[in-house]
Amino acid sequence: MTIIASYNIKGGVGKTATAVNLAHIASQKNHFKVLVWDLDPQGATSYYFRIKPKVKGGSKAFISGTRALDGLIKATDYENLDLLPADFSFRNLDLALDGHKKPTQRLKKLLAPLKKEYDLIILDCPPNISLLSEAIFEASDMLLSPMIPTTLSLRTLEQLKKYLKDNKLNHLTLLPFFSMVDRRKKMHNEIMRDITDIYPDTLKSVIPYASDVERMGWERQPLGAYMGRGRSIDAYRNLWNEVWLAMNA
Amino acid sequence: MSAGSLYFKCPDNLTAKKFLKKLAKIVTLEIVAQEYMCKTFYDSFDSLLYTHNMICEFNHSQKQSNMCLIDRKLGHMIATEMVEDMPRFVGQCAEGRIKKLLVSSLAMRAIIPLCHLPLTVYRLNILNKDQKIVLRLQLDAYDDLNHYVRVLPLKGYDKAAEKMLSVLQAQWHFKPAKSTALDDALKSMNQAPQSYSSKFQLKLTPDTPANEACLHIYLYLLKVINKNESGVIEDIDTEFLHDFRVAVRRTRAGLNQLKNVLPDNELAQYAEFFAWLGQITSTTRDLDVYLLSYQDYKLILPAEMQADLEPFYTLLKQKQIIAQDSLVEHLTSDYYQDSLANWQKYLNSSVRKAIKTDMGGLTVKELADKRIWKMLKRVLSEGAAINHDSPAEALHDLRKTAKKLRYLMEFFASLYTPSDIKLLIKSLKQLQKVLGDFQDYEIQEISLKQFKKELKDNQATENTLLAMEKLVTHLEHQRGLAREKFADRFNLFQKIEHQAQFQLLFAPAQKVKS
Repeated sequence: MTIIASYNIKGGVGKTATAVNLAHIASQKNHFKVLVWDLDPQGATSYYFRIKPKVKGGSKAFISGTRALDGLIKATDYENLDLLPADFSFRNLDLALDGHKKPTQRLKKLLAPLKKEYDLIILDCPPNISLLSEAIFEASDMLLSPMIPTTLSLRTLEQLKKYLKDNKLNHLTLLPFFSMVDRRKKMHNEIMRDITDIYPDTLKSVIPYASDVERMGWERQPLGAYMGRGRSIDAYRNLWNEVWLAMNA
Repeated sequence: MSAGSLYFKCPDNLTAKKFLKKLAKIVTLEIVAQEYMCKTFYDSFDSLLYTHNMICEFNHSQKQSNMCLIDRKLGHMIATEMVEDMPRFVGQCAEGRIKKLLVSSLAMRAIIPLCHLPLTVYRLNILNKDQKIVLRLQLDAYDDLNHYVRVLPLKGYDKAAEKMLSVLQAQWHFKPAKSTALDDALKSMNQAPQSYSSKFQLKLTPDTPANEACLHIYLYLLKVINKNESGVIEDIDTEFLHDFRVAVRRTRAGLNQLKNVLPDNELAQYAEFFAWLGQITSTTRDLDVYLLSYQDYKLILPAEMQADLEPFYTLLKQKQIIAQDSLVEHLTSDYYQDSLANWQKYLNSSVRKAIKTDMGGLTVKELADKRIWKMLKRVLSEGAAINHDSPAEALHDLRKTAKKLRYLMEFFASLYTPSDIKLLIKSLKQLQKVLGDFQDYEIQEISLKQFKKELKDNQATENTLLAMEKLVTHLEHQRGLAREKFADRFNLFQKIEHQAQFQLLFAPAQKVKS
């Protein structure tokens, strides 16, 4: 079982679309049993799957252990794909974790019983660097980090790399990739080239900025559920292939 | 979600159209698929899947075909796989859950079709107000049988499932399915699963006259021969011939071991016929065994030598085809058919008339005690006479005697307390195993040397001959190991507790004393 966090310090970079689409592809193409955990209190992932962003007892209940995560899971409309929905109380997840012993180990411990049931768990993370992020890093095997090719992206990536190094998170494979790319923009192309030169381990797949992806909010479905072929879905499929190779490396 | 039935049999007069109309009145319903297909149920000849509480279906429609394993008791699907055609043997299945489950239940038995049922399958989603699926249903609308509904709950949406179950049971009076469509279909064809077992399971009563009991034993064995005959001729799987031969051997053992119970002069011609039947079936069976062992033979060799054995497989296959043709010729001959028909006629007519012979006046229990006790003493004396220097023939003779004892114990097992007789049969089996291994390794060694010679004559490569030689050496070694085990196994068999138990059950003099 592999745990992948879809994470970036910045918001609005395509984390949720990545989590939803990769989960859908992995469950349908590879027949993986997949769980997505919507950790963002905005509940966008839950919205895409038409599932109420509500968790019985809120974050306190599962952080304290009075409710097991398994009992909070909802089946999505897709075979082999389940969701742990968001809850508005997740805005205080940091506080809930802080009140617990070994807070950074907590998520890892909570997810351990689900290892038997799922082949892949994807964590859709809120955009910040906090105690929750630390707990996510401890629990995950891979950090899949979408970045829009802007001047700030390089800085953010450097910050993240430094953080992982300083905190000796050696178990964590960082997989940065470009998201919401507009190939017509010269600046996007130049920044992508620069970052790839400095960080050759940046994934090759590039997710375009496209209305297809934006339509997910209207359709309330993963891309693959309403379109068979297209630039965006093909890009996510390529991305999944690269992630899958990294999982098996 | 509380455990309960999720599989329901629809009332007799409920059509699919009516069901969907009723359902649409109470929930938001989405018909995801409506597919006309043919469902074919499969099992082995001896209903091994049914015995293991599994149902194997092949669902074929214009769009697709799949193979499903269903839990017979709970009605839910255990595993499914897209396939174009049904495999005939487990070995032909793709790697996966279905293969894993079938291997442990079917071993080398073929999967054969039992019945075909045309039906329309409706896949239904129940949606909430956000158009999210909260429950799935499947309606199997059979052309000629009652329809079945399967409730498929979704994780985290227990209330939707509970509500539907309550509607189906409390309001619409659907009954949890106690049978399956397979049971219904077999019933409509006056068939029943598990109507065949390769085990000898004839129930006798102790005071039945011995001659009458023997006739019933022979009739039971004749039934087994008849049931397996077409499978042998059609070469469906190797177990048909195996069971056929076991029934023939048992009949021969009866004819030889239960002398003077029926008039020996009347049985002589049949003894000759069954000896012939044993003989004409042996080549095909031997080749079947070599072919079944082929994968094991390969694994004996180092990986780089395994491919060199392929010409051996080809040779076996060619020989098996020729032997099978010859066997079919024999089993469709007038001699075979007339002899078997006469045997049946003789047994049936003898049942109706009182036959008097020397041993015929005994009850079957008296006969069983007498014969088993005598044969046991023979096993013990032959076994005790074997020492480290005894020739291989001594072990072979003991193997044959032990087999005769085993058949007698199985014929008459129903006359004794099941736990007592089972224990003694088990200890005998362990002795037979080591004797059987010793014999098998020796015969295989001789045969493989002969096959090697044939391969050499057929211009096989040096590598193939080397691989064959390696197998022979391995078998020689194994035979040596089996020989070494004999003394321990025989001591276990003749240990005092078993002796006491044998004496208590079968020895007439001891019973008078007690």
